[in-house]
Amino acid sequence: MDPLRQDEFDSQACGSIAPKAKPCPRPKPGEAAGGCSFDGAQITLLPIMDAAHLVHGPIACAGNSWESRGTLSSGPSLSQYGFATDLTDSDIIFGGEKKLKDSIDYIAGRFAPPAIFVYSTCVTALIGQDMDAVCKEAADRIGIPVIPVNSPGFVGSKNLGNRLAGDALLQYVIGTGEPEPETDLGVNLIGEYNIAGEMWDIEKLMNSAGIAVTSRITGDARYKEITWAHRARVNMVVCSRALLGLAKEMESRYGIPYFEGSFYGAKETTYSLRQMAYLMNDREMERRVDRLTEREEARLSQELRPYRKLLRGKRAVLYTGGVKSWSVISALKELGVQVVGVGTNKSTEDDVRRIADRVGDDTEYIPEGGASRIIKTVRERKADIMIAGGRNMYVAMKEQIPFIDINQERHKAYAGYEGLLRLAKELTYSLANPIWKLAASPAPWDKEAPPYDR
Amino acid sequence: MSRDELNIKDNTSLFKEERYVQQRENKKQFEAPCSEQETAEALAYSKSAEYMEKNFNRQNVVINPHKACQPLGSVMAALGFEKTLPFVHGSQGCNAYFRSHLSRHFKEPTPSVSTSMTEDAAVFGGMNNLIDGLENSVALYKPEMVAICTTCMAEVIGDDLNSFIGNARIKGVISEEYPVAYCNTPSFVGSHITGYDAMIKGILSYLYTRSGIESKPGSGAESGEKLNVMLGFEPYTGNFAELRKILGAFDTKYTILGDHSGNYDSPATGEYEYYYGGTKLADVPQAANALATLSLQKYTLKKTQEYISGTWNQQLAALSTPLGIKGTDTLLATISELTGLPIPAILTEERGRVVDALMDSHPYLHGKRVALVGDPDLLIGLIGFCLETGMEPVHIICSNGDVDFNEVKFKDEAEALLAASPYGTEATVHVGKDLWHMRSLLLNDKVDLAIGSSHLKFAAKDAEVPLVRVGFPIFDRHHMHRYPIIGYQGTLNLLSLIVNTILQQLDDHNSGFNFELVR
Ligand code: SF4
Repeated sequence: MDPLRQDEFDSQACGSIAPKAKPCPRPKPGEAAGGCSFDGAQITLLPIMDAAHLVHGPIACAGNSWESRGTLSSGPSLSQYGFATDLTDSDIIFGGEKKLKDSIDYIAGRFAPPAIFVYSTCVTALIGQDMDAVCKEAADRIGIPVIPVNSPGFVGSKNLGNRLAGDALLQYVIGTGEPEPETDLGVNLIGEYNIAGEMWDIEKLMNSAGIAVTSRITGDARYKEITWAHRARVNMVVCSRALLGLAKEMESRYGIPYFEGSFYGAKETTYSLRQMAYLMNDREMERRVDRLTEREEARLSQELRPYRKLLRGKRAVLYTGGVKSWSVISALKELGVQVVGVGTNKSTEDDVRRIADRVGDDTEYIPEGGASRIIKTVRERKADIMIAGGRNMYVAMKEQIPFIDINQERHKAYAGYEGLLRLAKELTYSLANPIWKLAASPAPWDKEAPPYDR
Repeated sequence: MSRDELNIKDNTSLFKEERYVQQRENKKQFEAPCSEQETAEALAYSKSAEYMEKNFNRQNVVINPHKACQPLGSVMAALGFEKTLPFVHGSQGCNAYFRSHLSRHFKEPTPSVSTSMTEDAAVFGGMNNLIDGLENSVALYKPEMVAICTTCMAEVIGDDLNSFIGNARIKGVISEEYPVAYCNTPSFVGSHITGYDAMIKGILSYLYTRSGIESKPGSGAESGEKLNVMLGFEPYTGNFAELRKILGAFDTKYTILGDHSGNYDSPATGEYEYYYGGTKLADVPQAANALATLSLQKYTLKKTQEYISGTWNQQLAALSTPLGIKGTDTLLATISELTGLPIPAILTEERGRVVDALMDSHPYLHGKRVALVGDPDLLIGLIGFCLETGMEPVHIICSNGDVDFNEVKFKDEAEALLAASPYGTEATVHVGKDLWHMRSLLLNDKVDLAIGSSHLKFAAKDAEVPLVRVGFPIFDRHHMHRYPIIGYQGTLNLLSLIVNTILQQLDDHNSGFNFELVR
């Protein structure tokens, strides 16, 4: 792997090609940092459901992580298999190339996937294997694409890994295929991973407005559809942090216009649909979108009424990993929930600006992780609920704070109009559960407080 | 707000609605172009004996592994000691995986930090990361001890923990006395259980050596009456409680070496602290003077056992996970032998009750063919339990490689155990195989029941075999780890779990005329 300079890495991690003045924060040693670049690369590529994903390295990276992401498939499940070369000490000394080659052959022979993604990990990157050469040679021999993903954990954060995965798609996948003649061309969704099936809600909406999805990059994707992503008419970047670079590059290579958008909250959803129609340059479609969004918004606001009443004035602390904070803030605002603290750890400068546009002055920014830091904000700002990822969930439980999981393990889909309604219900549920009252009251023989009375 | 209005469909029910089903149909155009017939044929082939043979000849790729890496075990081991912060020396990703892996199993937070090595560290070594990391984490998390383990990356670049820690002291980042234990745990060797062993041995030997105490086994007036107990890589917090109950009944004094049950079963008080329970650091050097040490995972704790019988020069009894009546009998007999105390009547009575329960259920267990997946010591216990209930172990897979133990290997021991019973004659023990091998076995040679971790659920579903979740990790069920599976009480829990799965199966598959109330 070519060594990259620190600032290059940092700027890439932020999703822009040009180095930025202020690099993304890097993890400090001695803290409980988030996932590595390898993890990030997998997050981006594993949703390509019919491909095989082979982890080249010792058991650590694959053994601890397979099957643990909530990205759903509507059909093939090969992507959920935990393939690993499981290198041992002798492989480290003699190089794991033969093992890698044999593994690729075995997978191709037994599972006949349309493509195999091969991930380097810390060890394989360090012992200096020419993975690209092995992959290329294997691809020529077996006649299917074998794509090296050079994103070992030590190069940096999860976001950088997303970005490196995007590079692999650009280099090896996008532009290598052509759509079938009858395919209806439309929008690529970039950085939408179909967590809890959100992609399906989005697709349903787009279809009702007559907008076709060309390639899903990569929620519930099939390898083939990504090969013709360069024929799309518009790119929508759903997670800008990680894959903005991909959209920029596609714009300069293939002339596809892109925009950044989100499907969290009614306003953002409407904006995104309108933007698609606008960039498609299709008046009729724009009219259809207008009709659809008007109708959906009206229906939603009707259905939301009882929840808004319950949620108005509630205070939340938001600490998200992959999901854009600012768009979730919009969604919460529409429900009347006030965001009193927000994590900015993984936000780009643009994101932070957008956050600032949406929250009040007294909102606290939480620049870096650590459960205790988040809890402190919840306490000091008298928040009613904490909205964060799975790793912080159990700390919230210890502190008896109502909690909603917003990250990749969640089981509820919050995107689109229906998603907002689901979020409203979920918030109501979480806040109203009797367990919080029970937890807050001491045992009845503990005289200091009145006994639990429900 | 009524329940109906609040009815939120989650992804299990939502996407069964017609419009989503339609959407999925439409997506088929993108899938690899092969006909339904071809797909069906390939699927059938993957279930054939011919494929099974090819699958078992597979050398170089692991498909669906049933093991985690060494440092994951080390993190769990470190959490077994009072106010000890697990500290993973490597790039940041590994630690994030360990934290979520352990948290998803126990449904509790896992305090553990990383040195977050990057590409500079890969080139120049990770010393600065380690020193900065020590400084930051001690300030942030205020541990009383730091327990460092390495990842494969730190090992490949050859970082020397001992000298790095020494340099951190010289630099004044931590004081001369501040305890820092460590062990080397590359992921390309062993698995979570060997990593667990390495860290326990690392902590015991470190705290003992620095205390300056000389061990005189069984000699200390008070400490000499104590028994040391080690549970090993223990995914059940309930097993700690059960063991305490048993030792309590004996009325013996004891020290549990490595007790993470506090950290993984702490109360929700409204305030989260980083550390709960654990073996007291001061108890460790004293443990060198104990009566004897009882190890309940002999394959897991191999190096620690060698250390204790060697350096501490102490009597050592090493068993496998004490499951089932006979397994628990052995446990009690061993405690009695080591302490010289009689077996308490209350336990004999409990034994009788559990034997009674086993008799009640035996008609449903007899002859049931079972597949087992797990770590070596757990498997020995489970095999024993199956055999004494008349269940027939058929396929046994241990992905953790084979571990020598005084010349006895897991595979040899398991096979001897099986050979000694008429119910064990059909069994085959596979070592170093993965869950894709197990899938072939389940599909080709049907069993009635599979026992193993959550990871086995995919193969079990393919083969339409009910799965009883036992071991690590259990991600998709709640609170299983809170119920003991060792001792007589644990045997009873395991029995209920198994027999009721079988009864549920009977009800589910009932044709109607046999849908009985009384079983
Ligand atoms: S940090 Fe490196 S070794 Fe650890 S999980 Fe990530 S790629 Fe694997």
